[in-house]
Amino acid sequence: MTTDSIAIGPPAAIRAGSTHWLRSLGAMLRWHLTSMRLVFPVMVVVQMLVAAGFSIGMSLFYVEVSPTTGLYLATGAAIITLILVGLVVTPQVVAGEKEAGTYDFSWSLPIPRSASVVAWVILSAIVSVPSMLVALVVAAWRLDVTYYVSWLVIPAVVLVVVSGTLIGYAIAHAIASPSLTQLVSQVLAFGVLGFTPITYPLENLPEWLQNVHLVLPFYHMGVVVRDSLTLGVVDDVGLAYSIVLGWTLASVLVTGLVIGRRK
Amino acid sequence: MSRFETGGEWVFRSNGVTKSYDGGKTYANRDISIEVHPGEVYGLLGPNGAGKSTLVKQVIGLLKPDSGSIHLGVHDLVADPDAARQLCSYLPQAPMPIESFKLHEAIQLTGEIRGGDRAAIVKRANEMIEAMQIEEWRDTLGAKLSGGVRRLVGFVMVTVVPGRVVILDEPTNDVDPLRRRLLWEQIRLLGEMGASVFLVTHNVMEAEKAVDRLAVIADGELLAEGTPSSLKIADRGCLRLQVMLVPGAPDPPFPPMVRHHSRVGNNLISTINEVDAGDGIAWAQRLMSDGVAEEYALGAITLEDAYIRLTGHVSEENAEMAS
Repeated sequence: MTTDSIAIGPPAAIRAGSTHWLRSLGAMLRWHLTSMRLVFPVMVVVQMLVAAGFSIGMSLFYVEVSPTTGLYLATGAAIITLILVGLVVTPQVVAGEKEAGTYDFSWSLPIPRSASVVAWVILSAIVSVPSMLVALVVAAWRLDVTYYVSWLVIPAVVLVVVSGTLIGYAIAHAIASPSLTQLVSQVLAFGVLGFTPITYPLENLPEWLQNVHLVLPFYHMGVVVRDSLTLGVVDDVGLAYSIVLGWTLASVLVTGLVIGRRK
Repeated sequence: MSRFETGGEWVFRSNGVTKSYDGGKTYANRDISIEVHPGEVYGLLGPNGAGKSTLVKQVIGLLKPDSGSIHLGVHDLVADPDAARQLCSYLPQAPMPIESFKLHEAIQLTGEIRGGDRAAIVKRANEMIEAMQIEEWRDTLGAKLSGGVRRLVGFVMVTVVPGRVVILDEPTNDVDPLRRRLLWEQIRLLGEMGASVFLVTHNVMEAEKAVDRLAVIADGELLAEGTPSSLKIADRGCLRLQVMLVPGAPDPPFPPMVRHHSRVGNNLISTINEVDAGDGIAWAQRLMSDGVAEEYALGAITLEDAYIRLTGHVSEENAEMAS
């Protein structure tokens, strides 16, 4: 590094260690927040509105709801919001960078790749967690439900945000073409919104699709978050946690491979 | 500004760097071996698509060579891309993503990302902003800056805390002539600080003035390497005869004294021996009196003539002038 007599100049040694990592994370967060400052507040507000709209829509769809169904719908809206932000917004931002040709510059900055990834997960949480809260509050008001929040809400939300964002991140970095990335994230969003038993019970789906969802993470993400917000609405929570955890670990692994890969 | 030690421990060496696409069908780089010393401004010159950007992307670790090695001192940049990103700074050809940054914020934050000390960055950033004469936009958002000023901000961003190797891919694009000169001064200063500067350019005239040594690359291959003067040695004793033909006129028959020639649009550039200067002028005047040419100029051989001889291409700025 620099000495007293040298104000600034080419590096003399390679920086490493936890201080370098944390400094890099902080700098990268500031970089992203500044580079998105014109759109970031809009993005958060839009996500909140989407979440609120979703909750209101559900309450309009069902004329009469039992307390259990009400809880199901209320938490479903919140969970979908939480999953979609990481899964859809991340690939879209990265695809945008590739399209503008700025990807090479961000990727050439001397930031540990792991710190770049963690910065993304934090950004994703900054957008998705408030949106989820709005969804919960609006749904509680429209559907007249009461939540039972346990401490498990923290690990449940963390697991869902991390795995959702990392799956999106891995897709964004693995696919070279920005338009294909956009398409894949749209298809994922569509699939999660329409064909995932988060706002309706698993049994409502044809059997083969039920089996698919027992392997995919989305249904289980719904179970763990719902379990942390309600009492007696879901069961098989242990299985759900192990599957979400498995997907989280797999997404960490795949992200590690994708970002370490050079063409 | 202090001078850094520029000993042999930071020599850059690429050895046999080869990079192909489409499963080996197209070569972007083929067996490129160069050595660059601290303090040198080293030009990578070649037509568009020659493989210059591909080469520097392998240095910074954005791409991986199929074979060959890239070392900076003891550091293996291919094996350790983390080290490559810390030791090299990179100004890509594409615009910088600074729409929502104020000019000084973009510089400060990149400096911190590059590991610089906060107060030292402020000091050097101010010096560079002043030296480039871009103070008036200090607090302006990137989205409102002209392309040329954005290019300069990009340069300051990546060099406010310079790497041991500073890679500049077409740094003068869109920059006005006055600030271009200021930019060249700053590039020279980087050399004096002990950095090795890689200057990727297709602008031969600028390169001739700015670089210590250069490599001419075309179709992925290193065609020649050396100082600008040494590349002109093959044309020693020659002159450059440039004839502007009447639009649409076909190539005139060339007398035997023309050693080689090339044409872009209506601009005909030929190389002749010094002893043939009188005959050359007479030939050009005859072309004018025959109504085939509009004007001509006879001058010293430039790096561009060597470049044309090596690559068979006329440089971009000459092509633009001709069109």
